[in-house]
Amino acid sequence: MPLNILRLKHVTVVTTKKNVKALRRETYTVDFIKKQIEEFNIGKRHLANMMGEDPETFTQEDIDRAIAYLFPSGLFEKRARPIMKHPEQIFPKQKAIQWGEDGRPFHYLFYTGKQSYYSLMHDAYGKILDIEKHKNQLQAKGLFSEKNKTIDLIGSRWLIKEELEEMLVEKLSDQDYRQFVRLMERLLQSGAAEEEFVQSFRRSVTVQSKKQPIEPVQRDAQGMAFSTSEGKRKSAKAEAVVYEHGSGRIKVNGIDYLLYFPVLQDREQLMFPFHFLDRLGKHDVTCTVSGGGRSAQAGAIRLAVARALCSFVTEEEVEWMRQAGLLTSDPRVRERKKPGQEGARRKFTWKKR
Amino acid sequence: MAAPLVKALLRCSDLTLGVRSAALRFPGLTQVRWSRYSAEFRDPLIDKEYYRKPLAELTEEEKFDRELKKTQPIKAAPSAHTSSVFEDPVISKFINMMMKGGNKVLARSLMTQTLEAVKRKQFEKFHAAASEEQANIERNPYTIFHQALKNCEPVIGLAPILKGGRFYQVPVPLSDRRRRFLAMKWMITECREKKHRRMLMPEKLSKELLEAFHNQGPVVKRKHDLHKMAEANRALAHYRWW
Repeated sequence: MPLNILRLKHVTVVTTKKNVKALRRETYTVDFIKKQIEEFNIGKRHLANMMGEDPETFTQEDIDRAIAYLFPSGLFEKRARPIMKHPEQIFPKQKAIQWGEDGRPFHYLFYTGKQSYYSLMHDAYGKILDIEKHKNQLQAKGLFSEKNKTIDLIGSRWLIKEELEEMLVEKLSDQDYRQFVRLMERLLQSGAAEEEFVQSFRRSVTVQSKKQPIEPVQRDAQGMAFSTSEGKRKSAKAEAVVYEHGSGRIKVNGIDYLLYFPVLQDREQLMFPFHFLDRLGKHDVTCTVSGGGRSAQAGAIRLAVARALCSFVTEEEVEWMRQAGLLTSDPRVRERKKPGQEGARRKFTWKKR
Repeated sequence: MAAPLVKALLRCSDLTLGVRSAALRFPGLTQVRWSRYSAEFRDPLIDKEYYRKPLAELTEEEKFDRELKKTQPIKAAPSAHTSSVFEDPVISKFINMMMKGGNKVLARSLMTQTLEAVKRKQFEKFHAAASEEQANIERNPYTIFHQALKNCEPVIGLAPILKGGRFYQVPVPLSDRRRRFLAMKWMITECREKKHRRMLMPEKLSKELLEAFHNQGPVVKRKHDLHKMAEANRALAHYRWW
């Protein structure tokens, strides 16, 4: 055992897996991991041969598909199903030994307990001080000029706490993480000099959130251009067909909307997408709806109509609809009743004795 | 390596069960109230004028806000909310507060009947009055409603503070939202309790609204009583620490 530990000195520093507490005592040596990687690669090639595919271009997704095909599992818990992944993703990574043979630690901040985190904070603060010193020097000489800060704050986000923990070696607390984010923001504000350093701690974000809903293209039938889409709300499902040219008539399940929705609030919901786009009397709608109650059906039709209207409208207006909340499917459903309680939230009457 | 990271990302980006307002999470406290929306979802903004504004008129801040909003997922618009010109947030809130057992249809019909009753009474007064006074009579029920609620709002409130084993009623400033809530709550309670059994809610509510509009009536009296109590307990004001 001691020989193995000494050999671990030169392994690259990696993170420990949080959940795997039982395996913490087990140390995986470099040789063991290497052997596992070799076995994995050989197994990958065998699997590719079995599936009749090219072993050279066999990706992880192909492996997953092959395993799911060869070992079909009816287990509900996805993590209990058979998997075949690279050993780096399976074996919890170990922290290297941070001290030499004489027991003296290598890093000067070892005794803080979180050496990488504190050294990172120290470096960042050092950079801030350098930038300020530089600024003061320029101001003293009179050469200081307000430079344009090219900060792309919108297309990217800071690392989340888990990602930071992964990047550094050790566990962080919430306050550590918040302090880190504050320091980074201060560094960003003080100047655009350390762009690369800061960008290494940012990840890009899906720039346009509207990329998710895909509008179906118009279809022609009997010369009339129309668009179909579906909408859901609670347990109501609706399918709406919106015609491009019409006079504002709406038919629900073959019945006129005035008779199908006697309540004003539901009719307002039907009118909402049209009124928002100033297209009140310009479209005809035929829709079918089933399930749910009256308000849920109205909400489902509203969503279906809004999605169908996307195909007749500019991209900008689609973004406006999205920001007005017309294109989001409402995820709220009825909460289940729990045992030991009278309802979802209501508890039984508390009796002192 | 990938598993905790993937789990964290899934928590952030999916529409599944999530804890709201992760930014307000304190280290020692567990979040009890949760919502079906994930933490990043923003509230929808339903205002046609805001979106129709041409790009040239926007300030830097507004442009930044718009760009930022494009990257954020937005919640679905609630079912009582539309872009209609007839919609009033104060009236919607009042209807929700009047609602019992989820019967929004009944609450909304009561509200419309109340506004109609207010309008009718004002029109009767208008036709009965001389031409000089006609200009002073307000006939729009919405303005009467808003003004009446504004007249019922207390300026200062009382909070029970425990000191030395006793609860003292300490005068405390109220936020705008709390004031509006109290005004509406007092109005509704008063109309429900202090009326003849046979009298209907729209009739009673319209009467109270008109009295409050003229700074008379029981709701405004309750507001004045609260102010007097606060004035009487002025000496205890230093018990407040916020």
